[in-house]
Amino acid sequence: MALVEQCVPRKQSPGTTLLAAEVYSIDSPRHGVLCMNKPRMIVGIKWVPNTQAVRFDPKTGTLIREGVPSIVNPHDLDAVELALKIRERYGGEIIAITMAPPPAEEGLRHIIGMGVDRAILVSDRAFAGSDTLATSYTLAKAIEKIGKFDIVLFGQETIDSSTAHIPAQVASWLDLPYIYYVESIEEVELEKNKIVVKRKLEDRYEWYEVELPVIIGVAMHSNPPRPISLTSKLRAVTEKPIEVWTNKQLELDPRCIGLKGSPTIVSKVTWQPEIPRKRKIYKGDPREAVKWLIKQLEDERVLP
Amino acid sequence: MATRKRVNCDELCPEWGCTQPSEYRGVWVVGEVEESEGIINEPSLQMLTPASYIASKLGTEVEGLLVGYDKKLLERAAHEMIYHGASRVRVLLSNKLKPYIAEVYARTISQIIDKHKPEVVFFPATMKGRELAPYVANTLRAGITADCTQFDVDEKTGDVLMIRPPFAAILLAYIKTPTRRPQIGTARPNVFPKPPRDPSRTGEIIWEDEKLYSIPSPRTRLVKVEYMRREEIPIEKAEYIVSGGRGVGTPEGFKLLEELASLLGGVVAGSRKAVDLGLIPHEKQVGQTGKAVKAKLYIAVGISGAAQHVVGIRECGVVVAINKDPDAPIFKHADYGIVGDWREIVTELIKALKDRRQKTS
Repeated sequence: MALVEQCVPRKQSPGTTLLAAEVYSIDSPRHGVLCMNKPRMIVGIKWVPNTQAVRFDPKTGTLIREGVPSIVNPHDLDAVELALKIRERYGGEIIAITMAPPPAEEGLRHIIGMGVDRAILVSDRAFAGSDTLATSYTLAKAIEKIGKFDIVLFGQETIDSSTAHIPAQVASWLDLPYIYYVESIEEVELEKNKIVVKRKLEDRYEWYEVELPVIIGVAMHSNPPRPISLTSKLRAVTEKPIEVWTNKQLELDPRCIGLKGSPTIVSKVTWQPEIPRKRKIYKGDPREAVKWLIKQLEDERVLP
Repeated sequence: MATRKRVNCDELCPEWGCTQPSEYRGVWVVGEVEESEGIINEPSLQMLTPASYIASKLGTEVEGLLVGYDKKLLERAAHEMIYHGASRVRVLLSNKLKPYIAEVYARTISQIIDKHKPEVVFFPATMKGRELAPYVANTLRAGITADCTQFDVDEKTGDVLMIRPPFAAILLAYIKTPTRRPQIGTARPNVFPKPPRDPSRTGEIIWEDEKLYSIPSPRTRLVKVEYMRREEIPIEKAEYIVSGGRGVGTPEGFKLLEELASLLGGVVAGSRKAVDLGLIPHEKQVGQTGKAVKAKLYIAVGISGAAQHVVGIRECGVVVAINKDPDAPIFKHADYGIVGDWREIVTELIKALKDRRQKTS
């Protein structure tokens, strides 16, 4: 019950006005209170075209993107799930943030449906055409505007571009420590201002103790997401927990955002040249087919 | 091909600072050492292939950069980089770099790059490379392009073209960075072959002065490491790969693939679908969002052959496809294809290989 006593009414806390020295977190808005010593988490989300549904038009030589549904990047759902697990264990608040055109609100409703407390859609035509430097800059500035936070979680990479740049770049803009490939957060010790995370590399597990706040890349397939709950999803309608921030709110220099703020540009797009292959195909009885195959592989001298 | 263009500083984001492209020269490869094995890793040496190509086009030289705490290891690694094509290797040795912490390494590497101003910097897109490169690029406010499959030079401007498959791996996007230097790019392991090793090659090893750099104290502490027991070779190093997809469908199906793989002395891998179905772990995924492989023999079983998958088998020697759908795209990317029920064919193949083994032994 001690935790309840530490809570103060939420209306006293616009967040950003609190002293930086205060370690605090806002409990779920459902509880309407601000609590000390509970982690405040931000989860970065990307609204991506479902690459599995993208088809190719051989006549026009272009990708058919029309009618391709967009989804929340599946690897981000692992990050949402990990944040939800932390909230279950330690309390606290989870805020989702995405930089995307307005239709991405649908994705944020999905995340709210999983149980995230509130969401911010950073959306402005001025942000269009951003590369990873400009995207991470805009996200970092939006995260700063949220106020104090303890942990920022991103999916390790996205299915559409899979660069894995954003977590490190946001960490660089915010001058914060960062850890990639995190599978779990083993301990949260807000009073000591640190957490312990476990990550997996090719040949080993590593445990790190990290100072807060920290930026985390959550390993792919590490935290299978829970299903959406209808009660949570209804909140998206009744409580309107999704805010839209344009560049009017963020007031970023136009030279630092969108196309202008992107050092890299796409200069042209061509076909991926194919590797020439022999394309010999056998149809028929499996035994004969295998005999044929073994003969070919022996001729190629590739069998051990 | 000297870059003469001038950047108008007023047009740049003030957070970037302003430098002129002409202040930068040389092509760097940031090497990565494997402390547990005491060697420089293959993917770092592979990056010397595109680096040498770009350097010759730009009329400049390839330099390696190594940072770490183990003098003997770094020295050995520097020699390897020279044997594989680097003209010069810069090494920063410091006790403050023990153990490896991404943020500390990234900030240190950024400072060395900022001091010497190479025009191009390549990182291998290993797990460590993928966490270091974006931080370094951002700290320098430089452009970065991940997972390139080719590099070239725009003859008119002297900009490096970072070429990568966007989105669905059917197309190639040529990405350039006209106003910022260095131009930073990464490529996944096995996308480029390692240059031939020539131990008679000589080159300069420059030990960077630690005092010139402020190596930050870590805000992260490594508290525990547990090595996984590696019973088998990782797929990126395997010579024989039997790879399964949605068509294989079940864990029992993958058991059969494993039997075939072990007969060949190889390993089992799979498509993204197989990972999504929980049939294989992500580290065994072949393709754009998994790994590129360079097996002598790659057998794709029940894999339809989406562009995202086949982009990962470009460096393979012989590709065999087994699929019941004669129109499956995988057959276009295979040397030998068998249309039919995969289970029957793999069972026959296992029998045939066992017979063959008995005959030859």
